[in-house]
Amino acid sequence: MFFVVKVKAIAAEKKKVLVVNTNSGGHAIIGFYFAKELLGCGHEVTVMTVGEETSDKMKKPPFNRFSEIVSGGGRTVWGDPADIGKVLEGAEFDAVLDNNGKDLDTVRPVADWAKSCGVKQFLFISSAGIYKPTDEPPHVEGDVVKADAGHVGVEKYISEIFGSWSVFRPQYMIGSGNNKDCEEWFFDRIVRGRPVPIPGSGMQLTNISHARDLSSMLALAVTNPSAASGNIFNCVSDRAVTLDGMAKLCAQAAGCPVEIVHYDPKAVGVDAKKAFPFRNMHFYAEPRAAKEILGWQGTTNLPEDLKERFDEYVKIGRDKKPMKFEIDDKILEALKVPVAV
Amino acid sequence: MGGTRFIGVFLSRLLVEEGHQVTLFTRGKSPITQQLPGESDEDYAKFSSKVHILLFSRCYLKSDLLPHFETDAVDPKSRHKGKLETESLLESKDVNWTSIRPVYIYGPLNYNPVEEWFFHRLKAGRPIPIPSSGIQITQLGHVKDLAKAFVQVLCNEKASKQVFNISGKKYVTFDGLARACAKAGGFPEPEIIHYNPKEFDFGKKKAFPFRDQHFFASIDKAKSELGWKPEFDLVGGLADSYNLDFGRGTFRKEADFSTDDMILGKTLVLQS
Repeated sequence: MFFVVKVKAIAAEKKKVLVVNTNSGGHAIIGFYFAKELLGCGHEVTVMTVGEETSDKMKKPPFNRFSEIVSGGGRTVWGDPADIGKVLEGAEFDAVLDNNGKDLDTVRPVADWAKSCGVKQFLFISSAGIYKPTDEPPHVEGDVVKADAGHVGVEKYISEIFGSWSVFRPQYMIGSGNNKDCEEWFFDRIVRGRPVPIPGSGMQLTNISHARDLSSMLALAVTNPSAASGNIFNCVSDRAVTLDGMAKLCAQAAGCPVEIVHYDPKAVGVDAKKAFPFRNMHFYAEPRAAKEILGWQGTTNLPEDLKERFDEYVKIGRDKKPMKFEIDDKILEALKVPVAV
Repeated sequence: MGGTRFIGVFLSRLLVEEGHQVTLFTRGKSPITQQLPGESDEDYAKFSSKVHILLFSRCYLKSDLLPHFETDAVDPKSRHKGKLETESLLESKDVNWTSIRPVYIYGPLNYNPVEEWFFHRLKAGRPIPIPSSGIQITQLGHVKDLAKAFVQVLCNEKASKQVFNISGKKYVTFDGLARACAKAGGFPEPEIIHYNPKEFDFGKKKAFPFRDQHFFASIDKAKSELGWKPEFDLVGGLADSYNLDFGRGTFRKEADFSTDDMILGKTLVLQS
């Protein structure tokens, strides 16, 4: 009986949380969803975005929607993580999430400052990209990582200096407010009746998760720090999708047919990284630690979520935007695939 | 074993009458419990309520979203369709049952040439022909881990009227499986040849032991609800199979490299 009461008390505790957020890239959206979720639960949230408020980067989502954080009761500031002590002078926090650094040089000043002013819990957004490729998917927490990856140095450092730390390794995300294209790459081609060129067999599996799933996992770590402490969590939904599958689901969401064309980037003479937004290999992790340790459950439902994404894609008029597809054209030319003009 | 066709039908009743716990272990090809001629409804109901049926099935509808979970859609065209009808029949009769979905089973004495197919080629020093890209992902579960799962199911009320995926904790690509079999048997790294299966007509012969698609399932439900987990990792499990079976000179099916030769003959021609 006493134990039940104690658990409830912990869950109700309000926290002061700081999010140090990157100013661009695929991870930017994580801080936005996380901040709003915490505010919705009554916690105090400060988001410190790297750089300057007046920067051109702030004109893009999710930054151009930061008023939603402010109207939710949160505080938004800007600055250089290296000077974090000055930027946040006098502020105190229970937990800090670094959703910015990819190496120790960038994160160390934040971690050291947090430690020095008594922050109890440190959370770090790492990357599932640090896992070594394997014959036996999926990537599972504890699997071998690339020793020279920048994130690995950070993971090690925070585990050494904080009593309560957690690491989150995400992959690709969808969601309103995303800073980097994901599903849009497919929509761009599908609505224009263009073939979708996918490198390799199209059977490569990857994780494309809704940002709300990543946010809920982080929120569970904040409300249950003793369970989360000392753990690495793959920050992904519990289903992976094939590259061909993603193209088909995007087409279904758009209500259009799709023509998938496979190609070998080397044979065609293109850089696969520039030609295609996902890794040309299995890049597949499972959120086993989050499910077992935090009792987390995924809600990403790509067929449904992509319909919402497509509605927004059309609402902002991107389906009508004039676009060039130079690399696609090079690929299709090499394969002698006709494109409807 | 069985208990659903002839001798077992009568034997299982005697055992139940004597007070034994009877489990019927079946692939679901015949009706699981059937009322005997001359048996009263009351007696049949008493019998049905006391047996526990363990049903094997494997029948998920192919999907681009993976892994398969127990709640996923099942394939109405599957040759295991009988098993699904059996599952719904059992639900309606208030019989105690559990359905196990094992993906691909392996281990010593495997009657299905799964690992044996690779071992034959490795032993003969032959290349391993794998269809399409070789990155198709499958999943193997060791027979001993499967047996342990059955025991857990029988002792656990939570398992009643539930479906569980039971297999290995990690999945494996086709190419990766060839390499794992080589490691397990102490063979050098194999030469893998990829081919387009559409370019060949193998007649009735199977050129490769797996379906040419991704096929794997999450075992999270069994882990969290039964407290079961697989003990064998893939290479360790394959080594167990090799050391206790193929490596001792025993196997179920003689090596047949005729489809390999068709593939290798054609690819050699293309390369020259």
